[in-house]
Amino acid sequence: MDEQMAVKAAAGGAPSRMRRFRLGREFGVFVALVVLCVALTLLNDRFLTPTNLLNIGRQVSLMGIMAVGMTFVLVSGEVDLSVGSTYGLCGIAVGVLLVAGYPLALAIAAGLVLGAGIGLINGVLSTYLRVPSLIATLGTLSMVRGAALILTDGKPVTVNARNGVGEADLAMFEFLGQGKVLGIPMQLAFFIVIALAGWFLLSRTSFGFRIFAVGGSAKAARVSGINVASVKIWALTLMGTLAALAGTLSLAFLPSGQAGRMGLGLELDVIAATIVGGTTLAGGEGTILGTVLGVLIIGVLRNGLVLTGVSPFAQEFLIGLVIVVAVAIDKWSTSSKSN
Amino acid sequence: MQQPPLIEIRNVGKTFPGVQALNGVSLTLRAGEVHAVIGENGAGKSTLMNMLAGELLPDTGSILVAGEDVRLSSPLKSKALGINVVFQELSLCHNLTVGENVMMQGLARTPGLGLISRSRASREATRLLTQLGLGDLDPTTPVHELTIAQMQLIEIARAISQDLRVLVLDEPNSALSPHETARMLQIIRALRADGVAIVYVSHNLDEVRSIADRITVLRDGQHVTTMDNDQSVTVDRLVSAMVGRDLAAVQQYALVAPAVEATRPVLAVHQLAVPGQIARMSFELYPGEILGVAGMPNSGKDSLSDALFGLIPRGGTVEIDGAPVPPENPGSAIASGMALIPADRRRGGALLLMSVAHNVVSASLAAFSVGGILRQGAIARTTNDYVDKLDIRISDVLQRIGTLSGGNQQKAILARGLVTKPKVLILHEPTRGIDVGAKEEIYAILAALASEGMAVMMISSELPEIVLHSSRVLVMERGRVAATFRGAEITEEAIMQAALGQLAVAAE
Repeated sequence: MDEQMAVKAAAGGAPSRMRRFRLGREFGVFVALVVLCVALTLLNDRFLTPTNLLNIGRQVSLMGIMAVGMTFVLVSGEVDLSVGSTYGLCGIAVGVLLVAGYPLALAIAAGLVLGAGIGLINGVLSTYLRVPSLIATLGTLSMVRGAALILTDGKPVTVNARNGVGEADLAMFEFLGQGKVLGIPMQLAFFIVIALAGWFLLSRTSFGFRIFAVGGSAKAARVSGINVASVKIWALTLMGTLAALAGTLSLAFLPSGQAGRMGLGLELDVIAATIVGGTTLAGGEGTILGTVLGVLIIGVLRNGLVLTGVSPFAQEFLIGLVIVVAVAIDKWSTSSKSN
Repeated sequence: MQQPPLIEIRNVGKTFPGVQALNGVSLTLRAGEVHAVIGENGAGKSTLMNMLAGELLPDTGSILVAGEDVRLSSPLKSKALGINVVFQELSLCHNLTVGENVMMQGLARTPGLGLISRSRASREATRLLTQLGLGDLDPTTPVHELTIAQMQLIEIARAISQDLRVLVLDEPNSALSPHETARMLQIIRALRADGVAIVYVSHNLDEVRSIADRITVLRDGQHVTTMDNDQSVTVDRLVSAMVGRDLAAVQQYALVAPAVEATRPVLAVHQLAVPGQIARMSFELYPGEILGVAGMPNSGKDSLSDALFGLIPRGGTVEIDGAPVPPENPGSAIASGMALIPADRRRGGALLLMSVAHNVVSASLAAFSVGGILRQGAIARTTNDYVDKLDIRISDVLQRIGTLSGGNQQKAILARGLVTKPKVLILHEPTRGIDVGAKEEIYAILAALASEGMAVMMISSELPEIVLHSSRVLVMERGRVAATFRGAEITEEAIMQAALGQLAVAAE
């Protein structure tokens, strides 16, 4: 863990207590990613090209943005199943507002606030109202999807000039979806910034500390004077906001969405990537670096399977297999280490 | 009658890391006797009962059943030999009915296809319940609707549903009303008449006097005496056998600074109440003293620290230096100058997945962050300071606290409390699960803190610890202050008698 390095460096005065060098569990995930990339490079000469790599980066970005949020939620000892629906509803809500003639900044702000609100509701349900988050967010998964269908009457929403969206807003929206900064696709740029911010927040701030504390032992956190409910609510609110951001970027890229389909089942990819990266469902353990590696493994695997011509059906099967094997190896290695 | 005793325990010993729980204890159980086993907390009663239950194997010595050397390596094996243990923490399945619980051992392993005859099970359960005077209880009642007393009787019914030769009752009376206790004793007498050997573990000496045929006293894992329960046995005699004579105690006591009650109290607790645990309790804590709080397991002492610190709801007022500490808010308790070292490090005291450094600062995050960003350098420096000051043996401040020994974990948790700069330090079972060496170090740290003017409160089940290391002792019984002792009044006998309710309530 990087924060450990920082404390280590700062505590240089006591070298005898600082000897042991440990490889984080991210290292295993990193090795797996490298092996996967080498194998795909040997199997297919189109894999290791700048275009393809940027393509992978763009494809995993939206899932990755949400996986950063999911890391906070899982480390805090909760889970959020509603993120796919939130992604769908918030993206579509931004589209609906744009089509209705609201300015872009307002539409996007409203989408993000909506996502934060859903996260807040998830948080209050699973703390003050004591509905376990697995069940609370299973409920909101359905409710939020239903809300999106009601909002659009099930019809697709398309953001274009024909629907009366102003020219300047349209150009800006298109830039958000399809533009590039320094040659990096916009979505990937967002992912990079959010991953860096998430890493800083989780490993270097007292908020991140509280997330680990409440997820590791809610009782011990309480004894330390930490307000457990408030920390969990913040984590879920952050998650909702990031899901809304990802949904908005998705709509900007396409630029249309349908309430019944947008983000359907995405929550499972997000949770899978986070867990492959070493975050545990039990809470108290996880890093953003691990999550980013987990997201890349899933993305590279998907891309590689397409490039090597594996059938889409077999792709689904293999990705599921990788998730199970990755977590099994991780559990096995940590339990054998502690014995 | 020269047939061998039903059970003969020969010289059994058991060592846990850092603790010799039992050391050469022998005990015989005869058919048709009630054999009471008494002793302080930590005397080795539970270890011995766990051996009979098949939960623990002795390290040394042997257990003979009907003259035959047996290895009670699992609860099933004990049950097969007719030994049944009803523990204080009841082990009923709350989702099942009375009948299903009573007949559980039969239902869980039915021969053939595994089909269950509910009507037969229900008939059989009714028969057993009637035998115990619970004939009016419908076997289809879910267990979670019962009172604790009824649950306890259901456990006994389950024990007698199988071939029963030895029944061990661990603190059976702790949750019972006088009426229910009378019924329990009646059942015990009936079982005794049927030739069952009953082991009766209890803190209630009056009850032991009234029911037991023989009484065995354990102390510090050793067998003190076994006596026939005749006219010569008095509660006083039992108490002195339980606590033993320890003159060293009195001498060591002089080392502890006397209470500085001339000063104003730093902590004032008025009419503190926790439903079912603490009944309007008032006391004060002064700077420079170590106030020991003693009491039996159900006296309410185990809720005291959680109530004061705001971990559980409470009534009444708690003030530090005259300023009220709000209830149910550990954060403000810390801000008011209170620090808690909880009893159970594994289940909630420590952040086991996190490093020593993170545990040390976890209760003072605001002091170790600027604008929400952690000050890694300050965290490492402070941790190193306390590692040196409290002699915490670690290889690395980033070592996970869960990998440390109990004593080092406890010192790190103590550091967490001290980093918050408390005026009042509350410790609950400060040395539980800690080896002897580390215990002494912790006592020394507490004495040093008190001499610097800290107000220390030590809630403990270990009487020697209370006697040797408190400057004043408060004894709780049934959620009230039963007595306070200071100076030469602090003896194990006095505390034990007050804790057992054997003392006229001393006026504060």
